[in-house]
Amino acid sequence: MKKRSQAIASQQRRQIITGSIAAVGLASIGMPGISLAQNNPIKIGMPTILSGRVAMLGEASRNAAIMGVEKFNAAGGLNGRPVELVIRDSKGKPDEAARITRELVNSDGCEMILDAEASSGAFAVHEVARDLGFLVIHTCSETSALTADPKMRIPNGFRAARQGVHDAIVGGDYSGKVAKEKGLKRWMSISPDYSYGKDTTAEFFEYLKYFNKDIEVVNSVWPKLFQADYSESITRLLQGKPQAIYSCLWGGDLTSFIDQASIYGLMKDRQFFGVNMADYAVLTAIKAVPPNIHSGNRYLKSIPKTQQNAAWCDAYLAKFKTMPLNWSWENAVGIDLMLNAIKQTNGTDTKKMSEALKGMTIDSPFGTNGKITMRASDHTIIDYAIAWGDLQPKEPYMPNPYMGNWKTVLELEKLWMKKKGYIS
Amino acid sequence: MDTEALFECVTSMSCLVTQTSTGLIVGSLLFLVATGLTMIFGVLGVVNFAHGSLYMLGAYIALSAFRLTDSFIIATVIGALGVGLFSLFFERFFMRRVYGADVLMQLLVCYAFILILDDAVKIIWGSEFQSMGMPAYFQEPPVFLAGGVIPVFYIYLIAISAAIAVGLWLLLNKTKIGKVVRAAAVNPSMTSALGLNTSLIFAGVFAFGGALAGLAGALAAPVRSMSPGMGFSVLIESFIVTVIGGMGSVSGALVGALLIGLIRSFGSIGFPYFIEGVMFIAMAAILVLKPSGIMGKDNR
Amino acid sequence: MKANSFSREALIAAIALAILVTIPFVSDSSAVIDFGIRLAAFAVFATSLNMLVGFGGMVSFGHALYFGAGAYSFGLIMQHFALPIPIAFLLAVGFCAAVAAIVGAICVRLKEIYFAFLTLAFQMLFHSIIVSWTFFTGGDQGLMGGLPRPPFLGLNLVDPTDLYWFSVVVGVIALLLMRYILQSPFGYTLRMVRDNPDRAKFLGVNVWRIKLLAFVLAGSFGGIGGIIMALLVSGAFPDFTYWTMSGEAVFMVLMGGVSTFIGPVLGAALLLGFNDIITRVTEYHGLALGAIILLFALVFKHGITDFIAQGWQRLTGKKVES
Repeated sequence: MKKRSQAIASQQRRQIITGSIAAVGLASIGMPGISLAQNNPIKIGMPTILSGRVAMLGEASRNAAIMGVEKFNAAGGLNGRPVELVIRDSKGKPDEAARITRELVNSDGCEMILDAEASSGAFAVHEVARDLGFLVIHTCSETSALTADPKMRIPNGFRAARQGVHDAIVGGDYSGKVAKEKGLKRWMSISPDYSYGKDTTAEFFEYLKYFNKDIEVVNSVWPKLFQADYSESITRLLQGKPQAIYSCLWGGDLTSFIDQASIYGLMKDRQFFGVNMADYAVLTAIKAVPPNIHSGNRYLKSIPKTQQNAAWCDAYLAKFKTMPLNWSWENAVGIDLMLNAIKQTNGTDTKKMSEALKGMTIDSPFGTNGKITMRASDHTIIDYAIAWGDLQPKEPYMPNPYMGNWKTVLELEKLWMKKKGYIS
Repeated sequence: MDTEALFECVTSMSCLVTQTSTGLIVGSLLFLVATGLTMIFGVLGVVNFAHGSLYMLGAYIALSAFRLTDSFIIATVIGALGVGLFSLFFERFFMRRVYGADVLMQLLVCYAFILILDDAVKIIWGSEFQSMGMPAYFQEPPVFLAGGVIPVFYIYLIAISAAIAVGLWLLLNKTKIGKVVRAAAVNPSMTSALGLNTSLIFAGVFAFGGALAGLAGALAAPVRSMSPGMGFSVLIESFIVTVIGGMGSVSGALVGALLIGLIRSFGSIGFPYFIEGVMFIAMAAILVLKPSGIMGKDNR
Repeated sequence: MKANSFSREALIAAIALAILVTIPFVSDSSAVIDFGIRLAAFAVFATSLNMLVGFGGMVSFGHALYFGAGAYSFGLIMQHFALPIPIAFLLAVGFCAAVAAIVGAICVRLKEIYFAFLTLAFQMLFHSIIVSWTFFTGGDQGLMGGLPRPPFLGLNLVDPTDLYWFSVVVGVIALLLMRYILQSPFGYTLRMVRDNPDRAKFLGVNVWRIKLLAFVLAGSFGGIGGIIMALLVSGAFPDFTYWTMSGEAVFMVLMGGVSTFIGPVLGAALLLGFNDIITRVTEYHGLALGAIILLFALVFKHGITDFIAQGWQRLTGKKVES
């Protein structure tokens, strides 16, 4: 850490010297002393995934970050200094993510990192941040442990993304109500067999049972991530004869599953709770959204139903010719927080920015009440809009959203943290 | 290991029918892909590591063809032919140069193509996953057989694969072309000495094998979303099938594919957490006990 | 093997080490230091694979098993026990040797492509265990929370320059040891087994035992590569034991040259260098890397050092001793 700040200090010294010489030189020919060092951009490094199966994560993230940066620069940047994003592809490999992060910070002059890596990559980048001490905001990892676990906590690491447990609480609340209304007692689940799939499914059922004691989870199926064929999982589900099915399959997997399930008639006379359905990539790929589907909101233009959110969505669509995804709003919030910290501290000092971020509240189109807060205790965002509801095949895809009540969410989250041993 | 559930299923007609048909469904597409792989190995002695990418290419070409013509049949044919043509090109200009070389050189060339094709697909069709959607004439309710469920589309798939299996058997065993191909597989230099154009045979077999993989990709397109890099998992599974069935044996590919299909479908009931483990252990067991595979000849 | 030819090798190694060690004093760039650490890890890993491929004639598709085993065992030991790094290092290498002994005992009887597939099957099995045993290994997210790296012998491995010196020293020593082994009578027996196993058998060599020993040695050194990587990223990821990692080692060996000792080291430097440059310059690294690999496979048809060795032989008529 000493070396890096030394390197930056020496670079800054050189800039000041060059700038001063230039200024003196210009002054000697009668021009006002413009310090040339001022136009030197603030570089923010952005490791993400731009290739392979999860390439859309990187594209969606980068688009939103670019929008945020352009807006900031158009408004004058930091006293005339523009912000520059340096984006690199980790190909989804955590060791590559660690390598490019080190390169961005050590060789490419990036003073902070907007980390748009999936969870394993995020953990790798987190360790680099722990070792080298730069500011990092993770924007795509939803693994609660990244911020909830005290062992992971570092003063310069933050997360601007939804957290699995928050989602599960609202989902359990909503689904518990629906289950009571429709008499759904017998449940099964189909989720991908990896940490996100297992944790999210477990959390959902935990809170579902909390809000509705009559639930029985008969069985769970765990296909592999990116598995093409769900036939055996679907027939397993058919055999179990559940009244409701939960799934946290996402993206192409969810699309394949729905397509395959519909030719089996799996969704007939059954309620399906797919937390990742309300995502434009999925909604546009599935030609006909089947009936009886409920979902959480990954990103929808109508949630929250505000002019700011709709405007942001329209601007994104106009610029990139594609609809924003879940990762888009998360990166939009992340870059907003980061840029706000720069503005507030009038500079790029890691310690000052980290202090400013703790407890920072910003205006955001994605906040429940127009605002999002970076919680000081564990460096993760709260008050972002979480909604669940049933889906229809056209805009607004979720006509009757059940908006999450953050008071409830925070209360239950505290109990969850105690149970996990994260707080005493 | 849930032996109770497994026993219950095997003794229940509806479960038995459903799970067996699921095994057939999974196995059919796998058979098409694995057959191409095993034939290429059997006749050319080459392990085509790029086979999964050919499957991917078939799916994407069929997708575009379907969007243009709105006919699934035409799309499938174009997909298979397109990949067959590409395989021909690939064999002529690239694989041909590494026939005699180490298997590692072949791996290198194939891997280079996997990288190039993944990026090419990303450039042409985008990095977001794509979905063909079920063509209208397959959107029928599923068929109920003795209480078990079988979707109409899958009946069609199984029928096509069965037809190809039968056709291939006839081709290889009852026609002159088949005889020539089998001869080239057993002894290429002798075949060439007898005046037959082995390089043409090689090209033909490679193109045919590739076309089969492309066909599988096209057939699966209505129900499986596609994204760059999707060839991967298919590749690994088809290797397992080929090794278990016997490298170079088409009947082995059939047996292996059905076996893997049944392991998957009954495994999801009996041992859902170990399905992959069981497949790798089966592969390891075959390699140790009978490396030439279930249907392979012993002296390979 | 003559004593003075080995002391010549040791001298070369010492000079190389001296040069490498002074680099941080000459260059301020952390990119160079990071590259050095990664090169140390991959040079050892690729050379260990070449012990099997080039010198033993055993094509393994599953060598990443040992890279991952080294990284994970070292990581787990450091996370759970308060042991000094050198001890954990040796224990981790021991673990890799044990695993290689078990896997090797089953695999080395098989020939060629079947051997290759079986090593792949074992590696994928190991990979699925790592990914499923979330409680112990962190599952698909890898070992989380970082590795404690207590200082030892005045080195603090959290500091990149100290880690660089450590990796470079370990790397050179490992390479020297492998060189020693390959130049020893065992090494020549191994070559004989590669070239003509029947002849070796007639001469009374226990072919199976020689192959197994080579396999265990290769696995142990492969694990060292994994340990260095674990120290660099402060963790271990399932990626380390996936077949793509095996593939990378294969490419390093092929591109650098199978018939020379130093080939894989050169191949490692090339592949790492290409990767770093390509990912900075273009988003389409698949196209770029694919094209480069095709160039090697189809135009050069051999690794670089093979090329050089052939050229040397043609010029001077002397065969290069590998």
